[in-house]
Amino acid sequence: MSRPNVLLQVAQRGGSLVSLVRKLWQHPQGRLGLILAGCLVLVAILAPILAPYDPYDVTQRAAKGLHPSWQHPLGTTTTTGQDIFSMLIYGSRVSLMIGIGTGVALAFLGAVMGVMAGYLGGFVDNLIMRVVDIMLVIPTLPLIIVLTSLLGRSYFVIVLVFVIFGWTGLARVIRSLVLVLKNSNYVKAAELAGASRWYIMTKHILPGTSHLIIMNTALTSAGIMVAEAGLSFLGLGDPTAISWGKMLAEAQGGGALLFGAWWWIIAPGIGIFLSVFSFMRIGIVMEEIFNPRMKASSSIYKLFKHLNNTYLDEVFRSMEEEESVVREPPDRSDAPTPEGCHG
Amino acid sequence: MKRSYVIKRILYAVFIFFVVLTLNFFIPRIGVHDPAERYYPPQGGMSTIEYEIIKQFTREQYGFDVSTFQQYVRYLRGLLRLDLGTSLRSGSPKVTALIAQRLPWTLVLSVSTLVISLVTGLLFGTMAAWKRGRWQDTLLLNASTISVALPSFFIALMLSFYLGFRLELFPAYTNPNMVAQFDWSWDAIRMVFTNAALPIMSMSLGGIIGYSQITRNSVIAVTNEDYVVTARAKGLPQATVLYKHVLRNALLPLATSIGMNIGGLIGGAIIIEQVFNWQGMGTLFLEANSTKDYPLMMGIMLFLSAFAILANLVTELLYVILDPRVTVGDKR
Repeated sequence: MSRPNVLLQVAQRGGSLVSLVRKLWQHPQGRLGLILAGCLVLVAILAPILAPYDPYDVTQRAAKGLHPSWQHPLGTTTTTGQDIFSMLIYGSRVSLMIGIGTGVALAFLGAVMGVMAGYLGGFVDNLIMRVVDIMLVIPTLPLIIVLTSLLGRSYFVIVLVFVIFGWTGLARVIRSLVLVLKNSNYVKAAELAGASRWYIMTKHILPGTSHLIIMNTALTSAGIMVAEAGLSFLGLGDPTAISWGKMLAEAQGGGALLFGAWWWIIAPGIGIFLSVFSFMRIGIVMEEIFNPRMKASSSIYKLFKHLNNTYLDEVFRSMEEEESVVREPPDRSDAPTPEGCHG
Repeated sequence: MKRSYVIKRILYAVFIFFVVLTLNFFIPRIGVHDPAERYYPPQGGMSTIEYEIIKQFTREQYGFDVSTFQQYVRYLRGLLRLDLGTSLRSGSPKVTALIAQRLPWTLVLSVSTLVISLVTGLLFGTMAAWKRGRWQDTLLLNASTISVALPSFFIALMLSFYLGFRLELFPAYTNPNMVAQFDWSWDAIRMVFTNAALPIMSMSLGGIIGYSQITRNSVIAVTNEDYVVTARAKGLPQATVLYKHVLRNALLPLATSIGMNIGGLIGGAIIIEQVFNWQGMGTLFLEANSTKDYPLMMGIMLFLSAFAILANLVTELLYVILDPRVTVGDKR
């Protein structure tokens, strides 16, 4: 079976969100990811109840640099005497909010751009793909640093910059899929029936790409969480918020390494690890569900590319070469029905 | 056919570089009415009149006394002479001079990282593919799954803590005298590499995972080819099959992915350099950021972008040269 036909089948497999969550739950790794992510979201929401102390309280001069004890499960900071355990709990808020918020916004922009490039073709396609090419070579981290220094260090700016420079990977992937969907019988039928381009894009093309978008949101959120932690670690995050990256920077600056306060470093590290790990698991398992031929090892490989901003590059390079070959619509037996696509 | 493709790719890379340098010119000019504002020194104890004179002097020194278009032309002409502008630091050093001073130190890190992660990744990946489904393969997969979710700077902090402070195997921070005292003597070179050990280790981990997974997948794909089956059926020794038949053909995807990662290697060192206070391009960039030295920042940005564009171009051309099966028709 040729690759475009495999992709069409993959597109068909997308279902409603409920059935997706059910499939994830049935997969042991997916269940692990869902449980972890759920716990983290709960911790973030219930942070004021769960945290034993006020993490913003920097006036505890008597309680500086305490070792872990029953009063302070992870000790206190050496500089201001903040309770590290409470900081850890509050830190989940920043990580999840930035990660999920950016992931969703990015998915939206990437999907719109990808569908437009793939379906409208011609000038729009050329323009969008040239912009993608340019964005891919600009070093992202230095640029984010420049822009936050120009526009101010608030989370709004950080999310904005992440979105502006992060949509390219998804747009490419979506475009490749749209180019295949465009030639399917049901889209051709809709075109013949006189449906407008807008109608076809929103009702026929977009639902077919939904699974890729959801999967990408999970993986991008994970990537953004790492990036946000890195920015905060460099002291470029929002200075008023408590985040895990900033905690690590404070730990290094406060001499945690020197005093042997390993818990001060391990705790935020585990926080970052759990949030990133759970979202990555969800993304990878989703990919395995949609595309059973994809093995776990190659998902890791793709994830590595994803983190290097070259997500799916090689996988789709081979596909782009096939695009020019596949001009006629696929066989009737392989063509999905509109119902199958809407799920 | 091939030559026209090569020329097309080169022209396209030049076009992208032109767009990037135009963006680079305009980025520091967004968001303010008078871009020269960002170049004025702090007023300090100066009187208003004195400060006006200093401001006027700054405007002239950095070329803000002419129209934006003229500034742009001047910027382009400067680039033709490889002049990235003047830093705001005292003594007004040239941006190119500052970059040239720091670049070798970053290259020490990135080149060693590349070599180490390639060799180790190749070794692990081949092993995992050869022992597919056995414990070696599973171990590598699980280790990759876990470490891919760990940020490199966290790994750097942990290494600095255990290998640096606890076991005292390597310096936990870079020796501040390393750069100043460097004189190409054997001791100085050894000092550079003991100081670089921890940064290189923390930077290599991601590469090792990536390259080992790429190698594993492509080796497995090649192992299933008929000619490998034939070679094995002939009764050739395992090692001969591995080196002569499998690895030679499995290395192509690896070669292309190296090219794609090289562009990011120098920029990717920013956080790790900060953790260990390594005096490379990354710390130079962060210093420029904390002092709001925009000419320096944008100069480094342009340098990194040019480097990435060049790496991408070389990769694309290599891809065609290395794999004769690739057709170079109307890919774009």
